Amino acid sequence: MTRIKRDSIAYLAIIGFCILMLTWGIPTYTPDYPGYGASPALVANVSVGIMMFMAGLSLLNIAVAVYMSKPMPVEESEFPEDMEEDAGFTQVGRVKLKHLASTMIPCILLVVAIEYIPYVFVSFIFLITFQYVIGSRNWIQLIVVSVILTAVLYIVMRYGFGVPIPGPQIF
Amino acid sequence: MEMIIAGLLDSLSPASLMFVFLGVAIGVLIGAIPGINGPMAIALFIPVTYYMSALTAIGFLVGLNKGAFFGGAVSAVLLRTPGTPEAAATSWDGYPLTQQGKGEKALRMALYSSVTGDFVSTVVLIAIASPLAAVALFMGPAEIFALISLALTVIAGIGTSSISRGLMAAAFGILVGLIGTEPVTALTRLTFDVYQLGSGLSLIPVAIGLLAFSEILLQLEKFTVKGGGKQTIHESSSNPEDRTLTFKEFFASGKTLIRGSMIGIGVGAMPGLGAPVASFMSYDQAMKRSKNKEEFGKGALEGIGASESANSAVVASSMIPLFVLGIPGNLAVAMLMGAFMIHGMQPGPLMFQENAQLMYGIYGSLLIASLFLLVIGRLGLRFFCKAVNIPAMILYPTVVFTCIMGAYLARSSMFDVGVMLAFGFIGYFMRKFDYSYVAFLIGFILAPEWERALQQVVIISEYDTYMFFQRPVAMGLMALTLFVIFRTCKLNIKSGRKKQVETAAAKAGQHKAD
Repeated sequence: MTRIKRDSIAYLAIIGFCILMLTWGIPTYTPDYPGYGASPALVANVSVGIMMFMAGLSLLNIAVAVYMSKPMPVEESEFPEDMEEDAGFTQVGRVKLKHLASTMIPCILLVVAIEYIPYVFVSFIFLITFQYVIGSRNWIQLIVVSVILTAVLYIVMRYGFGVPIPGPQIF
Repeated sequence: MEMIIAGLLDSLSPASLMFVFLGVAIGVLIGAIPGINGPMAIALFIPVTYYMSALTAIGFLVGLNKGAFFGGAVSAVLLRTPGTPEAAATSWDGYPLTQQGKGEKALRMALYSSVTGDFVSTVVLIAIASPLAAVALFMGPAEIFALISLALTVIAGIGTSSISRGLMAAAFGILVGLIGTEPVTALTRLTFDVYQLGSGLSLIPVAIGLLAFSEILLQLEKFTVKGGGKQTIHESSSNPEDRTLTFKEFFASGKTLIRGSMIGIGVGAMPGLGAPVASFMSYDQAMKRSKNKEEFGKGALEGIGASESANSAVVASSMIPLFVLGIPGNLAVAMLMGAFMIHGMQPGPLMFQENAQLMYGIYGSLLIASLFLLVIGRLGLRFFCKAVNIPAMILYPTVVFTCIMGAYLARSSMFDVGVMLAFGFIGYFMRKFDYSYVAFLIGFILAPEWERALQQVVIISEYDTYMFFQRPVAMGLMALTLFVIFRTCKLNIKSGRKKQVETAAAKAGQHKAD
């Protein structure tokens, strides 16, 4: 997929989101106009309007360029490889869904599991899994890092800040 | 005068001194690790400051930010991998010196230049913020509304190649910032029947997700796809002259340091430009004005001085718009603004009236942080050099777990951890698709203030749509906002056309060759 195609799909998705917000999200989940000041929906409508206008404008720009057969800059007509220089703010490039899923799933499972399994166990298992997923195969290091991190965060939360430890308590 | 003395004494309390010291030390350590920068460090450590007093918390975070700015230079000089974007120019001369075995000399130059820029900038901040804030007090809601509109427009250009995508991101940030209680009716809005959203989204999980978690997702991608591996650091020369920096060598760059500091102060005081711009501008000026132009890029101490003095000067001067107008000029200051709000203060000109003692305490902490930076940098230089090679297998799980627990710490809520993961996911796509997460975050932070100003304008003017035309400053600011949009669009179109012409010419050349 070229970058220009991907951008077009993104703009269409943004326009779709904006239409959904304007027709359902904002009217349903905003309080009624109280009779003074501006309507509670005003700023929300304006910000969604800006998003929709800009996405529409960008899409129009692409459409005009494509239908008038203007030569596209290389970085837009072909999909760019990941930028080498990533010290700045953005790292435009391919979305690697497999990598994203493998990193996100253990984190999501941690959030779900911590409601039922005590913090100490679930954090230890999470850290082992996470390190394994990112490629660590040194089992001693896996266990040592997991134990130390779990213990340090436990001590900091419980004795340092006095906040309740998430999940069922065993200690 | 009593306030000034009381504030300064507060900043000298043992707790305050200890946390400023810790902040600077942790900041240098974190900044030295490639991939972790100041704003990210602030996002990760804001939850910790929940349990501190306002002065201690702000002193700690300011120290963290100052330390991270210098820390970025450590990996830039030793590995040519800038720990922070603003340290990129430092690597141009720092790394060649490391290759010559003079890495320690380069780091000393970076440290002293950083401290110089930072100190000069802090003094300027102290001298001008309070008088400017007194002038800013004459601004009404119409001016504040117009000013925030201008700031959001200027900031929309950061971190993206397209202003339209920047504006979309800022507008999305405003929309997300509106979730929660509406200021006029005090009823909940845009909660989608999720009761946890009733009080709005907390800044901490949103910031940790966007700044830290999404960054780690991207770095892990590179690490797992391309493979990690330790980078080797060149050995230092055994010649003591190559390891130390003499007074003569340092003062030879005196003019460059002062010029760099001034550029940093000027750039930092303008919202939206940021430290990388100051650093590159200062380097460029130093090279143009230097007698030894040919040495630049090959290991000129002056080059390191120019870059470091300018980027460190931005740290304090970027707080000028925050203290004077309540507007964050860059990401690090936006995070600091969040910290102020968490501790019950609304940054802006009124802070000098409502929290005068605290403000002078913060000034004291800023100066002390400069001093600590010098001491910590001088004594811990060799230790920080080792931090650049921390194994990724230990670093990434630590940061990810800290992100998760940091998000939890804010309100002891696993819902916030879910919010953090969601914004990490959104941040990943924003970066990949070139949408400015900086604009999003600043829009998110400024949304309540922007809406409050608008509501005040509407109520005060009794629905008079010509309100802005009766306020010349507000009108001027709105006109400036439109000018910025049109000018940026024009420049974008111009650069797009230039690219098209270049592509067409390249294709024509290829056909000819075929």
